[in-house]
Amino acid sequence: MDELWRGFTQGIGLLVSLDPEVMEVAGRSLLISLSATIIASLVAVPLAAVIHLNSFPGKRAIITVTQALFSVPTVVVGLFVFVLFSSAGPLGGLNLIFTPTLMVIGQALLIAPLILGLAISALSGVDRAYVDTARSLGAGGLQVAGVILREARFAVVAAVIMGFGRAVSEVGLAIMIGGNIKGFTRVITTAISLETSKGELELAIALGIILLIIALVINIGLSRVQQRA
Amino acid sequence: MLKLENIGHFYGNRQVLKNINLEVARGELFGLIGPTGAGKTTLLRIIDLLETPASGVMYFDGAKVAATGRGRLDIRRRMAFVLQKPVVFNASVYDNIAVGLRWRRQSRSRISQTVEPLLEVTGLKALKDKNARTLSGGEAQRVAIARAVAVSPELLLLDEPTANLDPVSTLRIEEMIADIYRRYRTTIIMTTHDLAQGRRLAGRIGVLVNGEMVQAGKAEAVFSMPHNRQVAEFVGTENIVPGVVASREGELAVVDLGGTLIEAVSDYGVGGEVYALIRPEEVMLAKQRGTSSARNWLVGVITGVDMAAMPARVNVDCGFPLVALVTRASLEEMGLKPGQPVYAGFKATGVHIIERPG
Amino acid sequence: MKIISRLLPLMLTLVLVAALTGCDGFGALKPQERLRVATTTSLYDTGLWGYLEPMFEDEYGVELDVISAGTGIALEFGRRGDVDVITVHSKSRELEFVADGYGQERVPFAYNYFLIVGPADDPAGIAGLSPEEAFKKLAGGSGEFVSRGDDSGTHGKEKAIWETAGYDYETIRQAGQWYIEAARGMGPTLLMASEMQAYTLTDMGTFLSFQGDIDLVPIVDNGAILLNVYSVIVCSNGSNAEMAANLVVFLTSADIQELIGKYGVEEYGLALFTPSAGAEPES
Repeated sequence: MDELWRGFTQGIGLLVSLDPEVMEVAGRSLLISLSATIIASLVAVPLAAVIHLNSFPGKRAIITVTQALFSVPTVVVGLFVFVLFSSAGPLGGLNLIFTPTLMVIGQALLIAPLILGLAISALSGVDRAYVDTARSLGAGGLQVAGVILREARFAVVAAVIMGFGRAVSEVGLAIMIGGNIKGFTRVITTAISLETSKGELELAIALGIILLIIALVINIGLSRVQQRA
Repeated sequence: MLKLENIGHFYGNRQVLKNINLEVARGELFGLIGPTGAGKTTLLRIIDLLETPASGVMYFDGAKVAATGRGRLDIRRRMAFVLQKPVVFNASVYDNIAVGLRWRRQSRSRISQTVEPLLEVTGLKALKDKNARTLSGGEAQRVAIARAVAVSPELLLLDEPTANLDPVSTLRIEEMIADIYRRYRTTIIMTTHDLAQGRRLAGRIGVLVNGEMVQAGKAEAVFSMPHNRQVAEFVGTENIVPGVVASREGELAVVDLGGTLIEAVSDYGVGGEVYALIRPEEVMLAKQRGTSSARNWLVGVITGVDMAAMPARVNVDCGFPLVALVTRASLEEMGLKPGQPVYAGFKATGVHIIERPG
Repeated sequence: MKIISRLLPLMLTLVLVAALTGCDGFGALKPQERLRVATTTSLYDTGLWGYLEPMFEDEYGVELDVISAGTGIALEFGRRGDVDVITVHSKSRELEFVADGYGQERVPFAYNYFLIVGPADDPAGIAGLSPEEAFKKLAGGSGEFVSRGDDSGTHGKEKAIWETAGYDYETIRQAGQWYIEAARGMGPTLLMASEMQAYTLTDMGTFLSFQGDIDLVPIVDNGAILLNVYSVIVCSNGSNAEMAANLVVFLTSADIQELIGKYGVEEYGLALFTPSAGAEPES
């Protein structure tokens, strides 16, 4: 208890003094996870509109698989990306292993199914009449997609926020394909994991508090958005 | 303008449209009536190319419409469809009305030139900047119609434009449709389950029952001379009496309605099994037998009087039940009451004979 | 609706620009030369790599990426070519690595000793015994033992002791409740053993840096088998062999060897590592 309290007060101290190491790791975490979220959303959200608006054989199966991937363990995605991008792997030539770029790719792969699935259900919540109305007024495919995405925008934004939350809080993938390299691929979660294993709790607690604040902000944002949806 | 040939459609295993043949000329206001679930909405969706029919061919402006491809969007953009349940987009009234023009990549100034006068015509000017989501049902329906008219459609499709609206809003929408039809000479196809509305607005009417177009023609003709019992029932013909053609003389036939003989204009041969349709407003009631030889005069007993209806409805038993419509004034003058004997008279031309399938 | 049709392309552009400049911010797109080292956790958790890294970077103008992993994983990274250099501590596996052609040359650069640590009251009564004798006594069930169980160098050393003591390691793994596999790094394993008041095998460096946080003391610290040699190996499948060779030169240079020998003296009162100047130490 004593140790926890000491760690906590020192952690707060690191936060208040804007300790450069803490800020750097937190900033990198946000940058990597935001990039991953943006990339995943750019693919998943339009894809959700395409899947939602078209009927084709296997549509149901795609949605089921997508939903099953919501809870895929991060280490499984990490392993998959590692095998793919490791120097001995098929994409090893890109030389991306242990780089932030690959962490962005990995996190994007991790959360794309989540954003896709949630965006599809967000779009399913839009009355079919909107699609018909838009088409009847002469909207082309993209314009129809624009209409339903706009009508479901709060729920879609909620899906994107959920994706970001999963990306920023995962640790398995970040450590497997990022390598937790100080000043390069070290993010909040991998730093907490390392500092804890080294028994240096202050830094871990400071970073833990930042992660909690991020989670809190995400949840406040999410409930705001959901209230409007 | 529009021609449908043998259009058929299924939802799952259920056939919702059978062999629909229809031609609508440019500048016509065509009413599509029929009970709920008859396939009216499906037919409009097929015409607007929102759905591809399982069978049949559609011609738009003389050209055959392909089942797939980019060409469908171009044709769809020459039409507009107002759905039964008006959905307005989460945007201002102005932006809602302008949306179809924006999709057609029209310039800001051209859009304004189209939308501003439409706001006047539809009485929405004061609501221009309001979010359309906050409007009442009637106002939203006006926005939906204005939004459709804004794209200057060659063919305007209206699905039950006054369903679920209060009488005042209904009147307002009907006036608006009539006004738009007069002003822009747009070809309009509208569905309704309100017969009176169809009769008021449409020049020609098609009756859709169980997915089949059972009759199409001038509104008056459909109402006074339904082709068969289904149409007769749907258009509200109350006296549908089964009988057999007993004899004929020229175009005048004598029909035996279960022992009661009446004269009617018909070309069914002797022995033909028929229904005699006697329109209630064509039936006169009198205390004494009338003198005109052109009339059928039947003796009967009054079985009921409904004073609440306008005009009043009188039920007479003259071998078969017969409904007559009488003004309240003449009802009071004659003092007609249940149990009294009465003469019921109607012209031979007031009877419409239709086939009675065995 | 005008908002969506007008702003959507703009938003997409902004987002793309943000994503691209974001990538730039990582430094990944900059043509900065990088050298990747996978190291056994004990060299990282003791802070030695954190101490040496900036010196090497300054001297050679390169970004040194140090990835802390167990010896087993570090060797695997090396085999795959995901790193250019490894610093590990498992002689037999290192020799195999070099023999299989994955590594160029095994260069020992420092050593220390493993310790068997345990509760101060030594419930199994193994103090003063040789490591092999101590393990025999533990196998009799006289005390709990926490194993790294993660294929690390320390884990390899533990297996070697069991086998020298005459046991089949797989049998020991299944032997009973007293044998616990942590499957974690050295630090967490020490914390776990401390919580359970159990014995464990640890490298001296990690034990010293954790000493303040745990309630365990050295019980057995004498025996040839406890020698713990750290080597550096340039990986044949790596992508930066030239700079990797520089790292070997750096680690075995007189200046750095001296710094390694002094590392930890200030903090713990004794040295964590003994420099070996590229030669195999005599125990």
